Amino acid sequence: MTAVLQIVFDALSLGSLYALGALGIAAVFGVMRLVNFAHGDFIAFCVFAMLLPSVDATAIVFAGQLPFYLLIPLLLLVGAGLSMLSEVIVFRRFRNANPATMMIASFALGFVIRHLLLLLYSSRPKSITLWPSLGLPVEFLGAHIPMLQVVTIIITLVVLAVLVLFLKHTRYGLEMRAAAENFTMARMLGVRANGVILLAFAISGMLAAAIGLILATNSGTADIGMGANVMLIAFIATVIGGLGSVPGAVAAGFLIGAASVVFQATLPHDARVFRDAFVYGAVIVVLLVRPQGLFAPKSAKQRV
Amino acid sequence: MRFDRIRFDRILGILAGAATLWFAPAHAADEIVVGFATAASGFMQAYDKPAQDAALIRIDEINKAGGLLGKKIKPVFADTKTDQAEGAKAGLAVLDQGAELVIVSCDYDFGAPAALQAQAAGKVSFFLCAESIKAGIPGVGPSSFSASVLAAVQGATMSEWAYNKKNARTFYRLLDSWTVYNKGICDGFDWQMPHLKDAKLVGSDTFKNDDASIASQITRIKSLPKEPDAIMLCTMMPGAVSAIKQIRAAGIKSMILNGSGVDGSYWLNAVPDLSNFYVPVQGSVYGDDPNPKVNEFNKKYKDVTGGDPSSQYVYPGYVLIDVWAKAVERAKTTDAAGVVAELEKMNNEPTLFGPRTFTKDLHHQNQGRYLIVDTEAGKPKVVDQWTISEKIPVDYLVSK
Amino acid sequence: MSRPPSVIRQTIVTPIILIVVLLAMAALSYQFGSRAFNRTAIEMFINIMVVVGLYAFVGNSGLLSFGHISFMCLGAYMTAWLTIPPVMKSITLKGLPAWLLHTQLPMWVATPISGVFAALFALIVGRIIMRLSGIAASIATFGLLGVVNNVYSNWDSVTGGQGSIVGIPPTMNVWIGWLGAAVAIVTAYLYSISRSGLALRAARDEEVAARASGVDIVRERLVAFVVSAFIIGLAGAFYAHFLSIVNPGSFYLRTTFITLSMLVVGGMYSLSGAVAGVVAISVLIELFRDLEKGVSVGGLTVGLPNGAQEIAIGIITIVILIYLPSGLTRNREFSWRNWPLQRRRLVPPVQTALKETN
Repeated sequence: MTAVLQIVFDALSLGSLYALGALGIAAVFGVMRLVNFAHGDFIAFCVFAMLLPSVDATAIVFAGQLPFYLLIPLLLLVGAGLSMLSEVIVFRRFRNANPATMMIASFALGFVIRHLLLLLYSSRPKSITLWPSLGLPVEFLGAHIPMLQVVTIIITLVVLAVLVLFLKHTRYGLEMRAAAENFTMARMLGVRANGVILLAFAISGMLAAAIGLILATNSGTADIGMGANVMLIAFIATVIGGLGSVPGAVAAGFLIGAASVVFQATLPHDARVFRDAFVYGAVIVVLLVRPQGLFAPKSAKQRV
Repeated sequence: MRFDRIRFDRILGILAGAATLWFAPAHAADEIVVGFATAASGFMQAYDKPAQDAALIRIDEINKAGGLLGKKIKPVFADTKTDQAEGAKAGLAVLDQGAELVIVSCDYDFGAPAALQAQAAGKVSFFLCAESIKAGIPGVGPSSFSASVLAAVQGATMSEWAYNKKNARTFYRLLDSWTVYNKGICDGFDWQMPHLKDAKLVGSDTFKNDDASIASQITRIKSLPKEPDAIMLCTMMPGAVSAIKQIRAAGIKSMILNGSGVDGSYWLNAVPDLSNFYVPVQGSVYGDDPNPKVNEFNKKYKDVTGGDPSSQYVYPGYVLIDVWAKAVERAKTTDAAGVVAELEKMNNEPTLFGPRTFTKDLHHQNQGRYLIVDTEAGKPKVVDQWTISEKIPVDYLVSK
Repeated sequence: MSRPPSVIRQTIVTPIILIVVLLAMAALSYQFGSRAFNRTAIEMFINIMVVVGLYAFVGNSGLLSFGHISFMCLGAYMTAWLTIPPVMKSITLKGLPAWLLHTQLPMWVATPISGVFAALFALIVGRIIMRLSGIAASIATFGLLGVVNNVYSNWDSVTGGQGSIVGIPPTMNVWIGWLGAAVAIVTAYLYSISRSGLALRAARDEEVAARASGVDIVRERLVAFVVSAFIIGLAGAFYAHFLSIVNPGSFYLRTTFITLSMLVVGGMYSLSGAVAGVVAISVLIELFRDLEKGVSVGGLTVGLPNGAQEIAIGIITIVILIYLPSGLTRNREFSWRNWPLQRRRLVPPVQTALKETN
């Protein structure tokens, strides 16, 4: 029983990370059909923003020493700022471009950010100590669960709740939903395109910062490539969740996290190194069964 | 439309122009050129640079003491950009500048392309600190060497030491399947285990360096009836920190045995009050090496580079120039054949950072003296040294 | 090739121009370049093979594929299995079947086999994946890349795992590289003027109309998938001979995105675009590499910091895409008529790669 409970918590916490990532991708995709491959590098950037640039092995913590009630808003601001800046400088110029062109542009932007970090900080991972008390285990129905897992799950649920409230009950949320449903029509009806898109980027950037914080707390390190893995899984989750569907993206994020944990827990030892092959294989199977995604929005029907 | 025609003309022009830039400068006859085909940018830069600095310190020492065979050593550099194809080009670039010795990237995969070029040109190549058996005869050819000690020796050393000195009997093996280095540590551990009477492997699992969380692997350890005495953790940076942090966060108190890849204090404050944590090192960067000359070197390194050595991977660079220069002195030539023959005669040749042995079959160390660094309450210090009782057979290593 | 000779006569110039220009580059590099520069040229030719292979599928079908680098992996490892001396294989790759373990073939035999092997694999997985369209297909190809990389990285006894396998004869030179690029260009050209290629492009631009005209889209996509896998399999074989070591890390995300960038920068719907993208980016990379090494100005060497090259290339890519969203060639082909670019039944770049979902 405790073992099962432990697995459930493992799956939930990993799934939470993926779900937050998928949300960040889906927010932008919804309004401008852009798969933002720079999202992973946004995550890394937010983490490195806590350090002073230095190629020395020992990190010089800059913002990381702030109390949490200052650090968290600051980092969310950094994420939102970077994300909005990228929209203003880069993506705004791709409004009418082919999605493949946009995708490659976002990849190139991520490439630039990554190599900039590399130049400023070198590739050696830097240590960051954030809230060591979160590393302590708590006991829950006989299972020992690291505090951070619980916090991660709670944060994800809170973020989801806030986002749902925002989308359902505010004017901006309504505009965003309208834009995601049918962008041209929304514009005709007076939704300001640039405003909505900028808002989507801000939300996406804040989600990147949140993931960065969780990853940094969990691993205790800042590493150039730390966002890449989450970004990839989040991208896949967005698609199998049904592109444009926010609840779908979240559900698929949790599903992939759960699949990964369950494969790790149940595969025989020699097959465990092939875990990712099983996960990707499962993704292909899901796509074959539901090509429009698990929770495709009605608008996703192809039109002639 | 004309734009496109101009573009092609321009491309041809640039190609031709670039080509003329590529004339190799001639070097003076009273110099011996040593080429560094290492990463000055990209991921490997952080690992190549420190060892390269140490090598340059040794070169400087030799030059100040009158040079090698009466000639000054002149280092030349080419950036591999942490890319295999660029690595081969960097190898050629330093060879074209007359390099007698080609020093290549720390990692086998990234160093091999340049080393293969050196091998084809009939020159000696040295890996800065690669710890795979392939970094040498099997993976490059008969003129290639590595200055470090095999990863397998680290795994074997830690398990034998923990068995003898810490009375560890139950072991758990946790492998990060990301790199060959990681697998190498666990290979050494696997080889050692049957030699340890009534030591028992109670479990085994794998993870991947960039896994966002290793919670399920930890759950597996926690579901054991009894916590193992020791966890053999075969991993490296950056994932190592995350794994260690998560293991301790889950309340697992077993001793953690590692490879040298996690040496260094720069990451320790990520895991507050880390204890019962053991790392094998060739020399101590913590100022407490039993050999005072190592501590002197650390000081010199700081004077030259402005920072303390970040980990033990600084040292192989120094060893490399040291043993190569000795071989050149003895062979009285820099020709590959003579130098290789002298290197292969070295048997427990003393260096600042432990003895080195090269043979006709193995241009690497399958046994080596290691200092054991114990970290208690976040403070690392040398507590012991250990040399595995038996050499790990070359056949076993090559077949892995 | 149902409508020769008119299609051929109209379009044959494109591959000829491309091949001749590349030949000139090979000759210049051979004549004036250092050994290291020649390796840059070979690398460029191999990249041309990969990107032209990508074009054969992406350009004709309009589906963006993230999985094609896995064919490069397949081709490279097959070449490694076929050309490494049996003595070395029997130590490191013990899991190979006996007949493969004891075979050693020359490059000229092993390379086509590698291409065919990749094509066969594509035929099998393509039958499943090609049933999908739009972004679902892109993600499925991505899954394919993940599966192949994971298997090749961990099947130690057959692929040597994460580590490199060594011993592939280093037989590449700039002429063979050029030949490879020429073969890739000719193959892709022949496919794009074939009945299947024309049908697939029709389906790319007007799916419903094409379907109504009896085009079996899944089948034509599969043909394109197999042809492009063959070309990229060949490129993988050449890459193995070029580096003489292979490891799975070379055939993963980095290579996938860099080759895709080259294709999009050049113009993803034209063969000339595929080649021009590789050439342009390769030249730029080389230029910035020289700037990093430093330029002598009056006895003083001024250089960019190491690592600035990657940043510059990223920024230039973005700038090119901003001003030329359909690539350097604007999806057109090189041709004599209306020199140098001819509108060949040009269609506006439709958003098929990621089907608009609303």
